[in-house]
Amino acid sequence: MKRFLNRSGVLIIFLAAAAFAAAVFPQDGKLLVLQVQWVPQAQFAGYIMAMEKGIFTAEGLDVDVRFSDENSSPITELRSGRADFCTAWLSTTLTLDRPVVNICQVLQKSTLMLVARKESGIRRPEEMNGKKVAIWGGDFAIQPLAFFRKYGIKPVIVPQSYNIDAFLVGACDVASAMYYNEYNKIYLSGVDQEDLVPFFYSDYGLNFPEDGVYCTRETWENHPKMCRSMRRAVLNGWAYAFAHPEETLDVLMDYCAGYRVRTNRAQQKWMLEAIRQAVVFGVGENPSGWGVLKKDDYQRVSGELLRQGFVKTVPAYEEFYKD
Amino acid sequence: MSRRPPTVKRPIVRRLIIWIGLPLLVVYSIVAVTSYIQNKKASLDRTNAYLLELIRHQAAVLEARFSSVSRTPEIVAETIEGMRSLSEERLIELMERRLAAEPDLFGMAVSFEPKAVDSRMDAFSVRAFRSSGGVSITKSDAVSSYATADWYLIPKLIDGPYWTEPLFSAGSGNELACSFSHPVRLAGAFAGIVTADISLAELEKTLQGIDLISGYPFIIGRSGTFIAHPNPEFVLRESPFSLAETLSRPDLRALGKEMIAGRQGIVALADIHSGEKSWMVYTPIPSTGWSFAAVIPEDKVLAPVQAQLYRQIVLMIAGLFVIFLGIVVTSYGITNPLRKLTAFAGEISTGRLDVRIEGIRRRDEIQRLAEVFNKMVADLNQYIKDFTAATKAKEAVESELRIARQIQESLLPRVFPAFPERPEFDLYAKNAAAKDVAGDFYDFFFLDEDLLAVLIADVSGKGIPAALFMAVNRTLMKTVCQKGVGPAESVRMANEILSRDNDACMFTTMFLAVFNVKTGELHYANAGHNPPFVISSGRGVRLLPSMGDAFLGVDAEASYHEGRDRLEPGDLLVLFTDGVTEAVTPAGDFFGEERFVRLVADHRDDDLPAVWNRLAADLDDFQKGDQFDDITVVLLRRSG
Repeated sequence: MKRFLNRSGVLIIFLAAAAFAAAVFPQDGKLLVLQVQWVPQAQFAGYIMAMEKGIFTAEGLDVDVRFSDENSSPITELRSGRADFCTAWLSTTLTLDRPVVNICQVLQKSTLMLVARKESGIRRPEEMNGKKVAIWGGDFAIQPLAFFRKYGIKPVIVPQSYNIDAFLVGACDVASAMYYNEYNKIYLSGVDQEDLVPFFYSDYGLNFPEDGVYCTRETWENHPKMCRSMRRAVLNGWAYAFAHPEETLDVLMDYCAGYRVRTNRAQQKWMLEAIRQAVVFGVGENPSGWGVLKKDDYQRVSGELLRQGFVKTVPAYEEFYKD
Repeated sequence: MSRRPPTVKRPIVRRLIIWIGLPLLVVYSIVAVTSYIQNKKASLDRTNAYLLELIRHQAAVLEARFSSVSRTPEIVAETIEGMRSLSEERLIELMERRLAAEPDLFGMAVSFEPKAVDSRMDAFSVRAFRSSGGVSITKSDAVSSYATADWYLIPKLIDGPYWTEPLFSAGSGNELACSFSHPVRLAGAFAGIVTADISLAELEKTLQGIDLISGYPFIIGRSGTFIAHPNPEFVLRESPFSLAETLSRPDLRALGKEMIAGRQGIVALADIHSGEKSWMVYTPIPSTGWSFAAVIPEDKVLAPVQAQLYRQIVLMIAGLFVIFLGIVVTSYGITNPLRKLTAFAGEISTGRLDVRIEGIRRRDEIQRLAEVFNKMVADLNQYIKDFTAATKAKEAVESELRIARQIQESLLPRVFPAFPERPEFDLYAKNAAAKDVAGDFYDFFFLDEDLLAVLIADVSGKGIPAALFMAVNRTLMKTVCQKGVGPAESVRMANEILSRDNDACMFTTMFLAVFNVKTGELHYANAGHNPPFVISSGRGVRLLPSMGDAFLGVDAEASYHEGRDRLEPGDLLVLFTDGVTEAVTPAGDFFGEERFVRLVADHRDDDLPAVWNRLAADLDDFQKGDQFDDITVVLLRRSG
């Protein structure tokens, strides 16, 4: 009797737990992979903190945040099924032949920019004419090319490495930079900001919102509830990171050490604040307003992609963005 | 019973400490502080110069190594530019030769632009590097793998040689490595890049071998990143600029700018690890654009200076202790005998003159003082003995004088009424002597049935000589008056006798009258005496004027005049000495003739003794009992 009770008791508990798990974990207990674009850094602090502080778990999600390098691309990982969600630029995902779904537009503002030294005499876009302007390739080239056309500039375009050394030694007059990263690296190389002239694309009618969270159309159609949980968790993760910057930096520096990322706290601190500015840009400080893909932003980016011939068609806004 | 002397308010020991000990302390301290400051500066200068020289030397060593390596890509590029035909084999052979020649070289590569060598050829790159076996070769023909790498892109853009910032080279077991690149130009156009890689693994060891007095060296790259630092967490991660932000240390940013600008210098700063005051020297490594620096904690630099300061302080304290000890001993050496002397003097003041101060054997001023003390006590003792003897002698003399005075007084007629059988006149005389035997006297006697001689005199000086002179005078007067020659002649004769043998230069004032008791006629002579006056019952008061004659005993040739008057019945003749009129109050007011005359006049009809008593009482009252001079009065009234 006692033995039966024990056995059946264990069974009942197991069944109850399974039923609870099915109700609570919409991914049916599956580990979800969220692949971000690059190595650990404050650009991904919201996702890392959501994982570290149990924010995914609180939404019923079991998520592993994975990082990328030169040899892996989040979109490839998403398409291959090795990742369930990924972060990517709007200008990247709009050019894919097989469309993906944006479930959360995290950054509202272009952080990509151009920067010139004040001593070069370049103060206005037109003054870049004939100057050596370094730009990155691929999706990073879309905004600068649109910018040059908009202002009728014909610079000498030179390729750019992932460092800013070429700019620092004067090998080019203007360089591309991410506001949260290279722009501050220039400062941390001993060049003061007042000696620089920044050109923010968002100031020139070319605001391309950058990082968003994406999944495949199938994932969205099959698991919309899970996708919405992911969206909430991601935004809560960001809210936590911005509310606890020092703790977040501690976690980040541990990640950077673990992944042998050669960075420093000053740089990550700047990056976290720059990302915060991009997250709240146009949507305010309240997290409930974050993560939207505005239709005019969508139309601006897709229009520019069509104009430059990167794509011939783009999906409808309503098909592309699901919240 | 010994009594503690009262505490001294400003003891000598304190003065000595204040005026010797404290100035010495101040001087010592100034010397110590000054020499510490100078030594500190000198030591810092010396150490800083040493450090600067040291890191300049090390920088020069590194510079030599890097500049040697930096020539390799240039040589290879020139060789390639001079080749008539390029082939992979020849490039490999070229690089292998260079690797053999340059032990610091870790690897080399030649990388070309697409179509640079041959219009049909794509981009390609050949790399040779040391491996465990010897030299390994890798090839790549994907331009995308290097076209945007800094080692390729930057020298291409600047069309010149370029040092990349160090990286952890994946190919060399995660060692720190960097590349020197040189462009290759073929047919006047950019064709590719030659690179020479060197491992910086030796760099840390080189730096560890430098003796930096407990300090540490470090190197930063062109953009400030630490290339070598004792904290491995900093290498390729942090820079003075990032630390400036994280640690909120703007000075580090300013310093970083100086360093990457290729300057050299010395600065004081708080160490980023310990926060202690440190000195940093820095100098550039020109061919790489790096900056080489060393940080040394100031207390290590100053340790020998501080040790010297401590030695000085210990010596100073010891020296001052000895000096203070000396001061205390010396001052007690002075004050102890002084205390003895003080106690000794206290004993003397109680009247003990039989004591001597003993036990002061110092051969200095204090001993001298003690000797003088002893002598003083001995002298005092002697003096007091002498004084006692003298006092006794004086008392004997005074006793004799008292007797002499009694005898003197007894010489004067003292019984009144003097002539009770003669009703024609009334006579009263009184001499109230001052303390000493004095020189006033009076006398009266009949020359015949009717003529009465009355005289009053005042001998100069006091004491025995005056008394004797007076006795002579008195006897002499009695004698000369008996000759019946009248008062003026009598006085002249007396003067002549007195003047002749007057070796003592004494003199006498005298008034002598010869009164005819029947007729009232009065003949008189006055030798410089106060003029007497007559209080008349009917005619008021009149003086018997002086005729300007000399004192007795001065001039033997002097002549004397005779004055005449007449006493009516009831007239009162008053003779007196200056003791009356010159009686003085303690405040200095004189009794005066006027007061005297008025007093006598007011009592002209009284009994003569009563007149005298009245006058004596007034004078006593006036002088407050303090009589200085003899007071002598003779009253003669013609009966009515």
